[in-house]
Amino acid sequence: MPSAATLRASIETQIPSAFVVYQRPEQRSIPTGIPQIDSVTAGVPISTLTEICGSGLASSGKTTVMISLLAQATQKYFCALVDANDSFDPSSAHVAGVNFSRLLWVRCGKNQSKLKPMEQAFKTIDMLLQSGGFGLLVVDLSSFPERLVRKAPMTTWFRFSRVVEKQRAALVFLSQQPHATSCAGLVLHLKANPAVWSGNLLAQFQLEAEVVRSREKKPTQSAKPNFSVPSQWA
Amino acid sequence: MFTCLFTPDFSVQAALRLEPEDRREVLKQFPIAILDGPASLPRVMATNEPARLAGIEIDMTKMQVETCGRAWLRRRSPANENAAQMALLDCANSFSPRVESTAPGTVILDLAGTEKLFGRVQVIAQKIALRAAEFGFELNVAIASNPDTAFYAARGFTGITIVPSGEEAERLASLPVDVLSTSPEMLGTLEILDSWGIRTFRALALLPPVPVVERLGQEGLRLQKIARGETRRPLAPAEISADFIESFEFEDPVETLESLTFILNRLLQQVCVRLASHSLATNELRLKLELEARQIKKEQNKEFYERAWKLPLPIQDPKILFRLVYLDLEGNTQPAPIQKIIVQAMAVKPRFAQSGLFTPASPQTEQLEITLARIRGVTGNTDENGVACVGSPRVVDSHKPDSFTVQPFSGIDEELDSSPSSSPVISLRIFRPALETTVGLAGEKPCSITLHKKLLRVLAASGPWRSSGNWWNASSAWTRDEWDVALKTAEGVGFYRIYLDRIKNQWFVEGTFD
Repeated sequence: MPSAATLRASIETQIPSAFVVYQRPEQRSIPTGIPQIDSVTAGVPISTLTEICGSGLASSGKTTVMISLLAQATQKYFCALVDANDSFDPSSAHVAGVNFSRLLWVRCGKNQSKLKPMEQAFKTIDMLLQSGGFGLLVVDLSSFPERLVRKAPMTTWFRFSRVVEKQRAALVFLSQQPHATSCAGLVLHLKANPAVWSGNLLAQFQLEAEVVRSREKKPTQSAKPNFSVPSQWA
Repeated sequence: MFTCLFTPDFSVQAALRLEPEDRREVLKQFPIAILDGPASLPRVMATNEPARLAGIEIDMTKMQVETCGRAWLRRRSPANENAAQMALLDCANSFSPRVESTAPGTVILDLAGTEKLFGRVQVIAQKIALRAAEFGFELNVAIASNPDTAFYAARGFTGITIVPSGEEAERLASLPVDVLSTSPEMLGTLEILDSWGIRTFRALALLPPVPVVERLGQEGLRLQKIARGETRRPLAPAEISADFIESFEFEDPVETLESLTFILNRLLQQVCVRLASHSLATNELRLKLELEARQIKKEQNKEFYERAWKLPLPIQDPKILFRLVYLDLEGNTQPAPIQKIIVQAMAVKPRFAQSGLFTPASPQTEQLEITLARIRGVTGNTDENGVACVGSPRVVDSHKPDSFTVQPFSGIDEELDSSPSSSPVISLRIFRPALETTVGLAGEKPCSITLHKKLLRVLAASGPWRSSGNWWNASSAWTRDEWDVALKTAEGVGFYRIYLDRIKNQWFVEGTFD
């Protein structure tokens, strides 16, 4: 009867990779610029679909996190922001340190078109994904009511997830609620706690980020980092 | 050494040049006649070899041509011929900077000193013929020690002819004297020579010079020197035009984009080949479509469609330019059939960039332009204020809130902006346009706001922050009292920026802190 070593050797001659332990490639990510979030999530993962969610009516901090992420990403990569409802504020981004020469801003819904703004945004992100070369692609759908975004078929999210997997780019959707379910590699839910007023001035936001889903680290009940963000004039 | 590039049946070749290559090859085998003159009675002014074999002659009327069988008839287009002549000059220019535009369809270039660059004269002649084929020409090329010998050798012999120095008279001897007929004034002289029985260059060269001068004057002597290959003259270098314009006038106006694309593609190819011959590229492309005037409704009052594309990087690739133009035309239907198409490229030096190990990965510039054009097709070019919908944002140096511009996005790694160091700050989401609202006041302070048809209670308010600008201009003047308010909404506390437009006396919600 052949020994285990002989068997192993004979199998390895037939199938060289039979006993090789699969090493998952190291997950690269883009830091959000907010240490409390980065310590829990290690940043926004590249080649993955990420959702950043927060309330539409109440302030939640999702735009602040998005702009902080863009500020970090534009230091290293070319980035694209598909602004489905044209609500991006360049002044806030400038103060946050976004490098505009590396940012492509697509303003949807500003022209009479056969397509609705959300359809324009989806079509645009499709084209940008095909084009390649961007390190971060952000789609801001958070101005649309929840019921409208929910109409996007599940296949759309699957498609985005599959396409971005093969690219060295992070795809981030900003919306009121998570929609991509298992297609998303990271889902962050943000909400604001009572703000700090300094005399008559709005001084800072107290924000809470909850990691709803993460492929890399299993979210725990305690993964709700709190952090504060100062106002532009504070 | 001098090289002459002669285009036989120049008007025919100018008309064929812009046809797609496969179609051009088919048409070459077909009788072609170019018509000129008044629209009521056009007459043949140029033909090709198959047309001459079919019996079509110069000065025939259109009706007479039709009796000779099937033929492809085209109206003469001076614009096409000018463009073809420019293309021929560009072709010659890629071999020598000293080029003479001798006659329509004929250029002579001085090859002195180019042997080290291009090789022996035989090799140069072949290279010139190949290059001319790229420009859409089928040429006779002749190389000789003086310009006139090269000129008549190119006119008289087909293909490539090389006349060694000292053998000019020998090589030209077999040419018929009809080759000397370059202008109508010479017809009289040639008739006299014919009446003397002088029919070849050899016979003309052998005549004694003094009796020739006595009978034909200095003109006769000049012709004899040409026949002997003894003339010497300097070249008159042509001024190279910086205009890279190609145009095409349709026989019958076209209505569909498909009919237009063939010609458009060909025009762009020609422009790019010409640019390449000067080692140039373009960063601005202009397109002009002339529409059929009688089809245009009076109220539209527009006979042209004009469009210009400014490219972030100089481009030399016709496929990319074609894609840009096609995407634009696809989204803009013309009100009338298209009569003429004019393409103009602004020439600039190409950009040579070396990739760096530490530069970030960026979208391919050429591919990016097409992607951006496609995105513009979806989102539109500009908003109602004329600000671009696709590009790179820039904050305007103004204290007016929400002042920004959108610059073209180049995908080129420029120097980092002088923006402050990266640190998160509370960001604003803007409502564009700002939402009209009604505000309940307690004293001067807002106490309630109507948002999305709901009355919301103000929990805290910070303000008023007064600002104004452009007071000197009534149409653009603005003045406002700004408040930052915390509102109690169904989903929690929302922080909003509201303002009172003091000119309109109307409250607006500008955005939300999010």
